[in-house]
Parts: sequence; structure tokens; C-alpha cells
Amino acid sequence: MAGSIDLQKISRFANLAIPAMAVLFYLGGHFVSFYFHFFTVIFLLLTVVNIFYLHIQKKHTILRNFGILGQARYIIESIGPEMRQYLFANDTEERPFSRIERSEIYRKAKGIDSASSFGSQLEFDNSEVKIRHSMYPVDKKHITPFSLTFGEERGLQNSFTIHKPYLISAMSYGALGQNAVQALTRGARMAGIPINTGEGGIPKHHITEGADLIFQMGTAKFGVRNDDASLNDEKLRKLCANPSIKMIEIKLSQGAKPGKGGLLPKEKITPEISELRGVPIGQDVVSPAHHIECTDKQTTIAFIKHVQDVVMIPVGIKLSIGKTSEFRDMVKEMKTQNVFPDFIAIDGAEGGTGAAPKAFMDGYGMPLYAALFSAHKILTDENVRDKLKIIASGKLINSSKQFIALALGADATYNARGFMLSLGCIQAMLCGNNTCPVGITTHDPTLQKGLIVEEKAKRVANYVTGLEHDFYQMLAASGIKDAKDINIDQLYIPHDTALSGQISTLLNNPNT
Amino acid sequence: MKPTHIISWILQLSIIALLAPAAYFKLTSDQESVAIFTSLGMEPAGRYIIGFLEAAACALLLTPNSVAHGAILSLGIMLGAVIAHTSKLGFNNIFAYSSITLVIGSSIIIYIRRKQIKSIARMLN
Repeated sequence: MAGSIDLQKISRFANLAIPAMAVLFYLGGHFVSFYFHFFTVIFLLLTVVNIFYLHIQKKHTILRNFGILGQARYIIESIGPEMRQYLFANDTEERPFSRIERSEIYRKAKGIDSASSFGSQLEFDNSEVKIRHSMYPVDKKHITPFSLTFGEERGLQNSFTIHKPYLISAMSYGALGQNAVQALTRGARMAGIPINTGEGGIPKHHITEGADLIFQMGTAKFGVRNDDASLNDEKLRKLCANPSIKMIEIKLSQGAKPGKGGLLPKEKITPEISELRGVPIGQDVVSPAHHIECTDKQTTIAFIKHVQDVVMIPVGIKLSIGKTSEFRDMVKEMKTQNVFPDFIAIDGAEGGTGAAPKAFMDGYGMPLYAALFSAHKILTDENVRDKLKIIASGKLINSSKQFIALALGADATYNARGFMLSLGCIQAMLCGNNTCPVGITTHDPTLQKGLIVEEKAKRVANYVTGLEHDFYQMLAASGIKDAKDINIDQLYIPHDTALSGQISTLLNNPNT
Repeated sequence: MKPTHIISWILQLSIIALLAPAAYFKLTSDQESVAIFTSLGMEPAGRYIIGFLEAAACALLLTPNSVAHGAILSLGIMLGAVIAHTSKLGFNNIFAYSSITLVIGSSIIIYIRRKQIKSIARMLN
């Protein structure tokens, strides 16, 4: 490229200069002062390394062509993520969460006023869904306090009522370390919201904190399985005898890796994990892609019925939607068998994970808003929307995203990464490496020691307080007296979004 | 433990067995050390610097995650010793030969532990 630095020339010079310097320093050491030999040694070693780079190794083209200066590329590349995150990335461009999104949570978690100045940094030119306010806001004291009862449709004696539209989404002990689990669960108890245990087996570290728990049953059914990954009714019944367990969630699929089961490598199966999950030590455990009992819509609905018969508490399902037609068929099958889960958690493709194949994380599943609208619309079309509750999940970390989800048909919202951020997550993206620098997704005691359960539990509770404060302010601004009245009319949906595309698809082709 | 790592540990401990007394004598101003560094024109600063570097190399060789770094340091120090013996002190005593042995031993450790340092790993594929 004209005018640019000629790296080839510079590296050729360096490759000659390094051994020349070794010779010069040797002469200096010999004739002037022996101290010069410190540099003789350094340049001798560099010369040897350079010979290996240029003439012996065959795998790295850059090093073979440019020698030791080529190393600069690797060094600069290795510090790139930190440089971008700390210095160069602007406030709105990082993924999955930009700095302004993260800062808002940090401020809520620390109980700091989150008012901002000068103006929004987000886009206003037709790319983001916005919430419509009313010309006639209502007084906050006229708003009905939020309340949602799971299991009321079936007249369950052990129905479960939440008083805030938030639930902490599934994160297992295993994916998270013990301190993080305890801080989250204690924070959930302080805030008065339930927490999903994730598919980590018997939730030993959750139970001790006394919060309301939703036990997640993944496809491997850790903690309640037979050896062939089928459900062991007795184990499930025994687990649900614990009064902390308020609901069961059967995980059919996950937004970050829909259609794919997880793998628990044998290195991670400690005696404790083996006991909690009910798996043998010394071999990898592969979670199947689907529940062994669920091979089609009939067996899936029958399995939901079976679990509902085994436990006397609300039982829901979690799934990521791929084909809306499959979802519609499943709803029709629910009607046929007259079996309805007490809730359906819709997980958007943008949902988080400890570890998932890149192809699945990036390429599979419908984004939340479109999926959520579809599920709500299909259930409404089939006249069964009042048979169950919908929980939305997938990057719903702030008040406006949660409000949009409620407007699109959700009754409550799941959120996992927002709560991780409230614990102090810095988005280092190392969740699967056991090297989380803030001690959340690691079992390394030296990294967990910085995460003080008592302190972080308060932040979790503060975060919920901040979200709830926003929620009632937003209801007031929208002129809504009861959260049940939030609907899609409250939204301004630009034409070229995924959501608007899905809305017109469903409206134009009602049987999609 | 892999067999290569056992070899590495034997070498590490052997190097420490030679380096640690050398560091001790330098830092405690042993007469023979003072004499050597006087003839190199590095007395006393050079003696303390080298003594400190030798002690640091011993510590690194004992730290599992830093073995390769320790071996590079000891290789550097011993290359310096070889230069001293060939150019000034004469290649005529046990120290001269042991410095050659330590260069070889350190190099073997670096090879075995090459994955600890990426730029070394790239050098050796």
C-alpha cells in the first residue's frame, strides 16, 4: 500500500540488527565493561529465537516471513479484547451488552441514582422498539400492585404467587460457583423473587438460602434421573417435598443452543457434583438433545401431564421457538389432551449460556420479541391464552426491555445475565473456562474469594428494587393502572425490525 | 505426572542445587566470589545483581506455572557465565564446565515446558 510503513523492510533490518547487536555488545563487554554482556546474552537469545522463527518452525507464516517482529501481531492481538473494552469501544457498540446497559445495572445494584444527562445514546431512526406513553399518566398510588399466580388455572392448592414481575433465570451450581449461587439466592430472598436452580441436579446450595426455587429439569434430568436419563418419579417427589421448591420447569430447549444437549466433561465431575447430579465419576455425561420421554407432540404433552401428576406444584416448560407451526401444533395437542403446562417460558435465541457451540449460539432460534409475540398470538388464536402464564427470557436486563416483553404477551420476565452483572460480572466472556475474573462462573477458590456473598446479595436485591421502581414509574407514564393491561398497543414498532416482520407474517398467514 | 515432566523436575532440582549455593556465596560476599567479580570489573554491584537473579531463577523454577520463565533466566545467567569463562576467567575449572551443563539443562527444561510461554511454543511448533 502506497505511503504505508514497509513492514517487510523493517523486519529485514531487525533480523540483521539483532545478531549484529549481539556482536557489538560482545565487543563492548570484552573491551569496555563486562556489564555489556547483560545485553550480549539478551541479543544472543533473541538471535536464536529468531533463527527458529525464520527457518525452523513451519506453522506460522507471519513468523516465517517477518521473524521476531511478527510476534508483535500476536501480542497486540492478545491484548485486543481488553484494549477495546477498556479504551476504544464506544458506549453502545459492545455485545452482548454495551457499556451503557451494563452501567445502568451496576448503578442500580449499588443503589446509585441512574438519571443520565444530555440525551440518549441509542438509535432513534427506525431501528428500535419504543414504548408509547400516555398523555394522561396515572398517579402511582392508583396502580394495582403486581401479582401473578402460577397454577391457579388448575386450581392447585400449592399454587405459587409472585409479587414482582421478575424471576432469576436458570443458572446451575456447576455453571456458577458456590459463592455466586449463594449471593444470588440470598439476594432473591431479600428481594422477594424466585430463582431458577438451573439443571444442576439437587440444588443443595440454593436450598440453604431459603429463597423460593424453581427446579429446572433439563434433558439429562440431573438429580431426578434413572441411569438412562428417564425420570425417576420417586426422586422428583422426594425433592419436591422440600418447601423451598415452588415450581418445576421442564426444559425442552434453550435459546443459546436450541436442539442441542449440553456436555459435562468428566474433569468437572467432582464427588459433590456427581452426588448432586446423580451421575458417575470418571466419564463424560452427555445431555440428550431432547427428553427421552418426548419424541413428538403427543408424548411431550403426556410427559408434562405425568410430571404434573407426580408433583402437586405448578409445572411449566421452557423452550426456544424455531418453527411457529410446530408450536401451534403443540398447543393444539394441549387442547386435544386437555393438558396445559402452568407456564411456558419462551427463551429468545439471544439468551445466554455458560458454553454452547458457536454455530448454535449465533445461528439458531427465533429472537425473543418475535418468538414471544408468536407464542402469545398462537395461544390467543387457539383460545387457550388464559390456561397458562408466559415468562419471557433473553437479554431482558433492563426495565424497558422487560416492559416491551410484557407488552408482547409475557406475564413475567426471566433474567440471568442482568443478575450476574449485579454480582459484579464484567463481561469477560470466560464463563466456560473456569477462569471468571470476578469469581462468578468459576470453582477456583482463589477467584471466588473476592465475591463476598453478604455484600453481593445486597446488590442483587438493590437491582430488583431499582427495576421495580422503574416498572411502576413506566406503568404510570403509560397511563396503565394494572400490569395485566399492558399490551402491544403500548409499543411503537418500526417497520424494518424482526418483530414487525413476524407480526405481519402471522397476521397475513394465520396458520403459520 | 507425565514422564517428561518428571525429567523436567529432576533437572529443575539439579539446577537449583547448583544455583542456590552460587547465589548464596555471591550475596554473602564470599571471598572467592568477590575475587571472580573483581577480575570481571563488576565488584560489588554486578555480584549482587547476578546473585539476586540466580536466587530469582531458583524461586521461579520451583513455581509450577513459571518453570519455563525460571529456565530462561537461568539459561541467560549461565550464558553470561560461559562468556565470562571463555573471555576472561579461563576455561579451566569445575565452574566453567558446570555452566555449560546448566545451559544444556535449562534448554531441555524450556523445551519440555514450551507450552507455558506462547512465543517459545511458536518457535518450536
